[in-house]
Amino acid sequence: MFVNVYFPFSGFLSTQEAIERRNHLFTLEKKRQHEKVGRIEKIEVRYKGIPKDCTLVMNKGISTPYDCARHLTEWHVDSSALALIDGSIYWDMHRPLNENCTLELQNFTVAEPQQVNKAFWRTCSFLLGACATVAFKDTVPVRLHSFPGPDIRSGSFVYDIDLPTLEDWKPTPQELFTITAEYVKLCRRDLPVERLEVSEELAKEMFIDNPHKVKQVPSIASRHGNITLYRVGNHVDISKGPMIANTAQVGKCTIASVHKLVGPPDGDVKQLYRFQGVALPTSVMLNHFAFSILVNRARKLNPVWSPVGTSDRGEPIVDDVRTVSATA
Amino acid sequence: MNQAEVSKLVSKLRIKIPNEPRKLRNIKGPEGRLDKLRKTVTGLFKYERIELNYSRGDEARQYAERLISEAIRHGDCHKPTMEAANYWLLEKELIHKLFKVLVPRFQDCNTAYTSIINAPRAINTRSTEKVVLELKGNPYPPLVNKQMNNKLLIQNVLLDAAKYDYRQSKYREMAEKIGITDEIKPTTNKDENRTNQIQLNDNKLTEN
Repeated sequence: MFVNVYFPFSGFLSTQEAIERRNHLFTLEKKRQHEKVGRIEKIEVRYKGIPKDCTLVMNKGISTPYDCARHLTEWHVDSSALALIDGSIYWDMHRPLNENCTLELQNFTVAEPQQVNKAFWRTCSFLLGACATVAFKDTVPVRLHSFPGPDIRSGSFVYDIDLPTLEDWKPTPQELFTITAEYVKLCRRDLPVERLEVSEELAKEMFIDNPHKVKQVPSIASRHGNITLYRVGNHVDISKGPMIANTAQVGKCTIASVHKLVGPPDGDVKQLYRFQGVALPTSVMLNHFAFSILVNRARKLNPVWSPVGTSDRGEPIVDDVRTVSATA
Repeated sequence: MNQAEVSKLVSKLRIKIPNEPRKLRNIKGPEGRLDKLRKTVTGLFKYERIELNYSRGDEARQYAERLISEAIRHGDCHKPTMEAANYWLLEKELIHKLFKVLVPRFQDCNTAYTSIINAPRAINTRSTEKVVLELKGNPYPPLVNKQMNNKLLIQNVLLDAAKYDYRQSKYREMAEKIGITDEIKPTTNKDENRTNQIQLNDNKLTEN
């Protein structure tokens, strides 16, 4: 249990220590939940799709859609990004199945890929948070704030990050290039995106070094009961999900820009940096010129909802959204 | 004068036939060339999808098309057709496959019976051009993804939004030139519809 690894001075953790600690707590909790399953029961999963429909007998509470894909072919394992349970519920590839169900595997080229695209965009934001925490030197504390829901038409995925020691930072092209390199390195590590539901107390304990997340945890818990966490490598973050199966499914990507967002003087968040990027799945081949159009668009400030409410140009961002959708 | 029309003697193929046959260099000369092609045609009928060099693939394709076309035209009671099938198919069970499987499959087909697709080639090598030659209607997964025009694919969504954004910036420029600065005219009816769609589909903001 997490009580065993209580740190008395957790308010003074360095970024790296905090990451390791969160990762450790995640591992312990995952192990605990796995052991809680107890006596193994079997469920029947009816698979629909190519090469042919079939029934798989899997372990209740342990087997995931990913395990089902491994019974089929390597192509299913590599290309499936999301599972569709009973024809209606979108399920993470690494989330255990709990009852008899039908299963369809979704990749990026299915006829109706909206949900897969959203999961992809959400995962990209999540990974952006992961690489931003490791991209800075130890002297720069990085406090992740949150990322808005996936909006693909806005042209870029976003993570809002608090950098308390950097007052007025404008990244040079070289710095952006470095963050992009970190992002590519993370994706190439071929890591699974793990999911875990934890209680409110444990989530607070895990994010004790991050004041923003500590504030968000109770409000999320009051709405959804539990807190859903995701892990890639040793990075753990809160997200509603679902997410895609593996970081290797993220192909071409660029971190395009970082914009400063200034909050109202009486608000609890004074300023945030909005990291923006654009990425495509590995299976998508796009001409570099077309991709450069997407990158250029991603350089502009993304007007989706932000926790501080205004951009550094002094305009309220939420209103910006409304003007864009009403007139443009 | 009383010359018969060629198209009544031999059926017209639906692929492009070059004027000269290829030589397909080998030790035994023309006979060796035919041996090579017979092997390839047999392989194509047996496996239904094969990968080979372009020149041999393209040459064998013409003979395979001719054979299927004759088989459909004359059926299995026609002696010259049967002889041709016997000559081109080295494995004799494939003759049954030709008349009992492929003829029914292609009877109502109004395009070519085979397709030839460029295969990937290792970069920075001097290897010859590779192709994949296949019989249509084979049981394998398709090689060409025809769904790339799907509007909902992520790259198409992104490009469409970028295009829309660009067009709006142009409209804004035009409006500024004319002198209307306060309000941008809504464009066409189609664009408005799309805007509504965007609001419905993508502007649903959810926490995290």
